[in-house]
Amino acid sequence: MSTLRDEFAATMTELGIADQRLVVMVGDISHGILQNFARACPGRYYNIGICEPTIVNMAAGLNKVGLIPVVHTIAPFITERAFEQIKLDFGYQKLSVNIVSVGSSFDYSQLGCSHHCYTDISLLSHLRRAVVMMPSGNGEFRTLFNQVYDNGMINYFRLTENAHGVQIPDSSIVVGRGVQIDHGDDLTIAAVGSQLKTAVAAASILSSEGISVDLLYFHTLKPFDHELLRESVARTRRLISIEELSAHDGLFNLCLRATVGVDGLVCKSLAVSDFIHGYGTYEELCARAGLGLNDLLLAARPMFGKR
Amino acid sequence: MVVKVEPSIHQTFNVEDEFMNSDLRIEIARVVKAAGEGHIPSSFSIVDIVNHLYEHVLRYRSDEPNWSNRDYFVLSKGHGCSALYVVLHKFGFISDHDLASYGTKSGILGGHPDTTTVPGVEASTGSLGHGFPTAVGIALGLQIKERHNRVFCLLGDGECHEGTIWESAHVARNLRLGNLCAIVDWNGSAAQLMPVDDLPSKWSAFGWQVYEIDGHSSADLHKVFDKILDQHDDRPSVVIAHTIKGKGVSFTEGHGKWHHRVPTDPEMQQLLEELRE
Repeated sequence: MSTLRDEFAATMTELGIADQRLVVMVGDISHGILQNFARACPGRYYNIGICEPTIVNMAAGLNKVGLIPVVHTIAPFITERAFEQIKLDFGYQKLSVNIVSVGSSFDYSQLGCSHHCYTDISLLSHLRRAVVMMPSGNGEFRTLFNQVYDNGMINYFRLTENAHGVQIPDSSIVVGRGVQIDHGDDLTIAAVGSQLKTAVAAASILSSEGISVDLLYFHTLKPFDHELLRESVARTRRLISIEELSAHDGLFNLCLRATVGVDGLVCKSLAVSDFIHGYGTYEELCARAGLGLNDLLLAARPMFGKR
Repeated sequence: MVVKVEPSIHQTFNVEDEFMNSDLRIEIARVVKAAGEGHIPSSFSIVDIVNHLYEHVLRYRSDEPNWSNRDYFVLSKGHGCSALYVVLHKFGFISDHDLASYGTKSGILGGHPDTTTVPGVEASTGSLGHGFPTAVGIALGLQIKERHNRVFCLLGDGECHEGTIWESAHVARNLRLGNLCAIVDWNGSAAQLMPVDDLPSKWSAFGWQVYEIDGHSSADLHKVFDKILDQHDDRPSVVIAHTIKGKGVSFTEGHGKWHHRVPTDPEMQQLLEELRE
């Protein structure tokens, strides 16, 4: 099955042939799968080396002379380590870049906390000209990238290794717009990224228990679809957000800001509160972080007097 | 290989070479004094180099700062921006009013250069270690576009503490960016903290074409940049410029309290007298 990373590589080749301005720089990741791009677009592919801050600065230089840079490497190294470069080059100086990361949250579950990243979405969102996206299903990256890659902004795409597996028509994937996965009147569940898979499973079980779930999926965190969320919670008055982002500034924060003034709203958050120490599979780390199916069910049932 | 351009720093240079830009130094002191903010010694250290670049080396149109055939100059050690400002003023990029309103609410010039407001400033610098890798990216972009513009970047020796400088030095050589020239203002600032000994050997070890000059000598500046403009090498070049921080005024020369200090009225008077001598 094709992964989001494969989709990224294929999209670069398609767009690179069509747009001579596209230049891809990587920090020794995805080198093999980008060889088609390298062959199709000679002189526009660079495996720069293990030097993420420099790659980001260089992207600014490329954009300065009219090229459209795409920088790609592992999420914590390109966002957290190089955030000052991103902030000053593209925020302060108003240049444009496409940053495509892999290894989101704890995708590299067996490699330990050095390869985890829970704060990238928050960090990028602090920049006014940033468009912050988490494409997590087949076709989402290609659709979103095509919509924004030459918009003159700071576009951040966080790719996951654990696609949610929910089929969403390409026509429903629009930058800045949430997706209504299921309709319900009792409880709103807002999900980002791979956690849509858990949310879908929980919604099915809750439905069988007589709790109808309004299930919303957000692939874009900035701009955030306030309207979709507000319309939902205005009916349900109950909200649970589930995310692999920092509990200190992620989807739940956005939901709270989107729902200011909604009377009687009861909210709960499932998110990452601290480093997830230890190793194991992705699913095992989800469970350790409190992001398992049972965690979501246990959060929802008390809202309806159930255990 | 390190190439020492003759006359080297060890040779006494002509009287007219010394303080060759006293008028620019006076302007620097005046704008800093008026604003109550600025790095006079860092600017005195580089003003001869910056002036030489704009007077003899760079291709540009001051009335069309984004001219597509221009050479790029990035001041990576952004705190020396007063020197850049007076030179941009001298060559018509910015107005008398711009210079006079340095550091004020209505002005476009501040304690570090801002590319979004100042004509001729190619990169907003200030956080050390950023401008140089950006210059590497510009040089790569020009190479991709098969353009013949050149890129010059001035950095400080203290700035050479930053890891991104050496990341970029490595990358630029690996990418064979012969259109890139770095100039290191080796005024010894770094030696107060963590000495960066033997900069020429370090850059040479990274595979760059290295030149070593007196950064206050007009003769040295002419020779080295004439040579660099003539060379057709795929190696990037670096000019290690021996300079004196605060050069030109007895009490600003050297290190210490003058790094980020505004002269008092009596000090300003003495400074002007020394520069007018």
